[in-house]
Amino acid sequence: MPPRRKDMDVRDASVRIFILRNLLRVDWMLPIFVVALALLGFVTLYSATQGSGSALLIRQMMFFGLGSVLATIILCTDYRFSVALAPLFYVGSLALLAWVLVLADARKGSERWIDLGFFLLQPSEVAKIALIYALTWYLSKVGQRIRKLHWFLLTFVITALPMALILKQPNLGTAASLAPLTVVMLFVAGCRVRHLLALILIGSALVPYVWFEMKDFNPETEEYLAANERGKRAILEEMKKAYQENRDFYDLHWHQKMRIYTFLHPESDPRGSAWQTVQSKITVGSGGLKGKGFLKGEMTRLRYLPEHHTDFIFSTLAEERGFIGAAVVIGLFTALLLRGLIFARDCPEMMGTLLAAGVVTILAFHVFVNIGITVGLLPVTGLPLPFLSYGGSFYMATMAGVGILLSVPMRKRAFIY
Amino acid sequence: MPGKRRKETDRYAGVETRVQVFAVLMTAAFCILVYQLWQLQVVQQHEFAEKAESQRMTEKLLKAGRGRIYDRQGAILADNRPSVDVVMVPGECDKERYGEIARTLEELLGVSASRLLEDVKSLSRTPYQPITVKRDVSKADRVRVEEHAYALGPGVFTVVRPQRYYPYGKVGAQLLGHLSAITRREKESWGEKYTMNDRVGRLGLEAMYESLLHGRDGSMFVTQYVSGGSVLRSDRYGTPVVAPRDTLGHIIEVEGERIPPRPGEALHTTLDIGLQAACEEALAGEVGAIVVLEADTGAVLAMASTPTFDPNGDLGPLYSPDAPKPNPLFNRAMRENYPPGSVFKVMMAAAALEEGIIDENTRFYCPGFFQINGKGRRFHCWKHAGHGNIRVVDALAFSCDVFFYNVGLALGIDKLSAWAHKMGLGQKTGIDLPGEITGLIPTREWKARLRADEPVWERNWYPGDTVNVSIGQGSVSATPLQAAVMMACVTNGGWRVRPFLNQDRGPKLSERILSDRTLDIITRGMRKCVEKDDRAPTGTGKAAKIEGMAILGKTGSAQIMSLDEHKQYATEEDIPKYKRDHAWFVAGVIDREPRIALCILVEHGHHGSSSAAPLAKKVIRAFYGETGVPAMTTARAEGG
Repeated sequence: MPPRRKDMDVRDASVRIFILRNLLRVDWMLPIFVVALALLGFVTLYSATQGSGSALLIRQMMFFGLGSVLATIILCTDYRFSVALAPLFYVGSLALLAWVLVLADARKGSERWIDLGFFLLQPSEVAKIALIYALTWYLSKVGQRIRKLHWFLLTFVITALPMALILKQPNLGTAASLAPLTVVMLFVAGCRVRHLLALILIGSALVPYVWFEMKDFNPETEEYLAANERGKRAILEEMKKAYQENRDFYDLHWHQKMRIYTFLHPESDPRGSAWQTVQSKITVGSGGLKGKGFLKGEMTRLRYLPEHHTDFIFSTLAEERGFIGAAVVIGLFTALLLRGLIFARDCPEMMGTLLAAGVVTILAFHVFVNIGITVGLLPVTGLPLPFLSYGGSFYMATMAGVGILLSVPMRKRAFIY
Repeated sequence: MPGKRRKETDRYAGVETRVQVFAVLMTAAFCILVYQLWQLQVVQQHEFAEKAESQRMTEKLLKAGRGRIYDRQGAILADNRPSVDVVMVPGECDKERYGEIARTLEELLGVSASRLLEDVKSLSRTPYQPITVKRDVSKADRVRVEEHAYALGPGVFTVVRPQRYYPYGKVGAQLLGHLSAITRREKESWGEKYTMNDRVGRLGLEAMYESLLHGRDGSMFVTQYVSGGSVLRSDRYGTPVVAPRDTLGHIIEVEGERIPPRPGEALHTTLDIGLQAACEEALAGEVGAIVVLEADTGAVLAMASTPTFDPNGDLGPLYSPDAPKPNPLFNRAMRENYPPGSVFKVMMAAAALEEGIIDENTRFYCPGFFQINGKGRRFHCWKHAGHGNIRVVDALAFSCDVFFYNVGLALGIDKLSAWAHKMGLGQKTGIDLPGEITGLIPTREWKARLRADEPVWERNWYPGDTVNVSIGQGSVSATPLQAAVMMACVTNGGWRVRPFLNQDRGPKLSERILSDRTLDIITRGMRKCVEKDDRAPTGTGKAAKIEGMAILGKTGSAQIMSLDEHKQYATEEDIPKYKRDHAWFVAGVIDREPRIALCILVEHGHHGSSSAAPLAKKVIRAFYGETGVPAMTTARAEGG
C-alpha cells in the first residue's frame, strides 16, 4: 500500500480545488447567525446615520453582498490549496502594507488605505486574513516540533513583520489583534504551555515599566500648543535635547516615547478619548433594560457620540435596544464563534483546526475589544465591530473569515472511507 | 483502504481539550461584557439616564469665511462684511408656540409665517439646526427683534454672519458671480462640507472656484448641564461665542477644544478692475461686450458685458420669468453667438498665407461684386463701387469682401475650418468660467448632419457656401472671447493662448502656428486699417488710432438681415435698431509692455468703424494711460 500523501499535490488527479457542490452540504447554523447579525447591523446603521442619507447603508449592504460572494468562493475552495498558497498571500499582504506606507509618506499624512476607485482598501484587513493562512501553513508544516523553543520563537517572526508595518501606519488596534491570534494559534498547535506563560509574563512585566516611563510625559505643553508649526518643531527639538541629556540607561528613548504618546493621543481625536468613553457609557447606560426604541436614540441622534456609525455603533444599539438587545447581539456572536470552535475541534486535520481557531480568535478579539471600549472597560483604540460597524474592507475581511470557517467542515468526509 | 472505515488524523492527542479550553475562556470574556452591560444598563440606569437628560450638548457651527477675490493689483473685488441675521432654533422653542412665534416674526420682519413653519417642519429631524429667518436685517429690525425677545423666547436670536460684499458693485458682476442659498440637491451631492444654511457661488468665478473659496466650517461643542437655553452671542469680530450663562443663569460648560474653521482661500485674478470699469463705461447705454487679454499669456485683463447688475442688491427679479431683457446676468462675452463678419478675415488672411494659397503680391480684381466662375449669383462687396486690383495688405485695411471670396474658394472649406479651429474659433477657449459656449465653424460634416433628413443635394457642401463663410457670414458664429483669442495669436507672434482669470492657473500656449512672414504681412494690413495713409482712402479702423502707438485693428459689421430686406430702407438711419448690423472691432497693441489684444462687440452698433473702433481707443487709453505705460488703474470702490 503506497504511503498516503499528506500535503496536497496538484498533480494528484483526485484532488479537486474548487467544488461547487460544497454549497449543498454547508453548515446551516453558522450562516443563520451571520445573517441575523448582518440584518441587525443594517438596522442599527440606518438608525446611526439617519439625517445624513442612506448612502452608507446601501454601501454596507453592497459590501455584505460582495462579502457573501467572497465567502462562497472560499468555502468552495479546498482549504489545503489556499493554505499551500499562504506564503504568496503573506508576501502580497506585506507588499500592500509597505505600499500604503509609501503612499502615506508621499501624501505626508497617516493614511491606511489604497484608493481602488469604488472603495478604499485597507491592507491591514487583508493582512489579518493573510496572517491566519501564513500561521496555519507554518504550524501545520512544523507539526509537533513546535514544542521546541526555537520553532516556537520563529512563529513570532512571521507575526512581527506585518505587525510592525501596521504599527507604523499607525494603527494600534489592528496591530494588537495580531498578538492574541498568534498566541491562540500556538496554543492550539500544541506548543508547550510554559513557553506561552513565560511569554505572557514577560509581556505583562513591560506594562508597569511603560506606564512608569510614560506617566509624566507630555510634549503638548501650553507653550507648544500656542506656537505655530515652525515654533512647534523648535520646541520639540529643545525638549528632546533636554530629555536625552537627563536620560538614564534604562529609560526609553525620546522617539519611542513620542511614538507611544501618538498612539495614546491620536490627532484625529481632538476631544480626548476619555471624553469619548464617558459619552459612550452615558449612551449605553441611558438605554436601560428595554432601550429607548428604534430611531429614538437621542444621544446618537444629537451627535453626542463620536464615530457613532463605525467604532461606537454598539452604543447606538445598546441605547435603542437596551440590555436585552445588546445581550442578544453578544449571544449571537458567542453562538457564531462557538460554532466555529466546534468546527475546529471536530476537524480531523491540524490545518483545518488551526484555520478555524485563527478566524475565531480574530473575530472574538474584535468583538471583545470593541464592546469593551463602548462599555468603558478598555481604553479607546479604534477597532471596528464585525457586521455592525460601517467599513468595506473590514466587512469583506469578516466575510472572508466566515467563508474560511465554513470551509473547514467540508473536508471532514474526505477522510472517511 | 476500501472496506476499512476509520478516521485518519495528523492531530496530536490533546488538541480537542485545548480548543475547548479556549472556548471556555472566550465565553468567560464575553460574560464579562454582559455583566458590565448589566451594571450600566440595569443597575446604574437611572444615574446615566439622568446624565443623558441633563446634558444637552449641541454642536455649534463656526462659519468659515469665504475666500476673497482680488484683482491683479490686489484690489479686493469680493469681500465679506458682517451682517446680522435673525435665526430660529426650533429645538429651543416651545413646540406649542411655533405658530405664535412665526406670526410675531412675520409682523416684525415681514417674512412669511407659513413658509417659516414649513421650514421648521421639514427640518424636524434635526431640531437643533438653526433656521435663518431673515438675512442681513437692518438695525431697526434687529432692535425690534431684541425688544420682543421675551415674546419670542430663547429659540430666536440674532447672530452676526459674514455676508458677501462686492465693493465695486456693478463692475464685472457677471464675471465675479454672486452667492445664493444652496439647494437641497447640491447639499446632497456635495456632502458634509456644507449645511443647508450655506450660500454657494452662482455664475462666474464664485461658481467656478466654489470649492477653493468656500473653506471648511469649524465647530464648537457646548454642553449644558441644566435645561436653560444657550445663548449664542457674537464677539466684536463677529465670531459666534456662547454666552457664559444660559437663560436661566446657569453656567454653561464648553467641552474640549473648538475645531477652528478653515477659511476659504483667496483667489487672485488677472483682472484689472480699473480697466474693467473703463470698458463698462465705454459700453454704457449699449448692449455689448469687451474682452481685453494680455496677448502673450492669455490673462484676462477685462471682460465686460452690458447691461450689468449689482450683485449686492436683490437678484430675485433677475431670476424670475419676467426678468428684464436683455438679461444682465448673461455674460455675452462668452455665452452668446455672433456672426463674426469681417473680423473673420484676419483668420482667413493668416490661413491663406500659411497654406501658400496667396502671397503678399497676389492680386484679385474687385469690381464691387463676385460671381463663381464669372456667372450665377452675385456676392457683393460692401463697397459697391469696388476696390479695383487689391493685394492682401490693402484687403485687410479696407476690408474688401471680394478678395476674401476668392481666397475662400481657393482655400476650400476643409482647410478654412481647420484653420479657424487652430486659431481658437468654433471651440471652447478653455477659460476658467462656467457656461462658455462653442460657437460654430461650419464644415461639410456639420451641414450633412444638420440636414440629415433632406435630399442629398441639400446636404452637399457647395462653393457658394464657402463664399459666404469666407467673410464670416452664413452659419459662422463666434463669441467675443474667441475673437480676442484669435487676435491675441496675431498680436503675440503666433501662439494661441488659453485665456484664464485665476493667476495660479497660469498661461498655456499652443505650438506656434503662424510664421514670421505671415505675421509681417497681416501686421502691415491691420496697422494700415488703423493708421491714416498719405493717400486716400483711409483704413476702416482709423477711429481707433492713437498717435505714437502701434495698433493692429480690424473692423467687422455682421449682417443679421438679408440684402433684400436691406433695400426696404432708404437710408441707414431708417433701419430699426434691432435689425442693424452688429459692430465688431478686434485690436492689438504691439509696441508696449504688456502687449494686449482686445475685442469689442456692440450689438446692433451698425458699423464696426463708427461704433466699435472708437471704444477700442478709449479702452487702450484707459489701460496704458497717457504715458503709454500701464498705470495702476484703480477704479474707486463704492462705499466699502
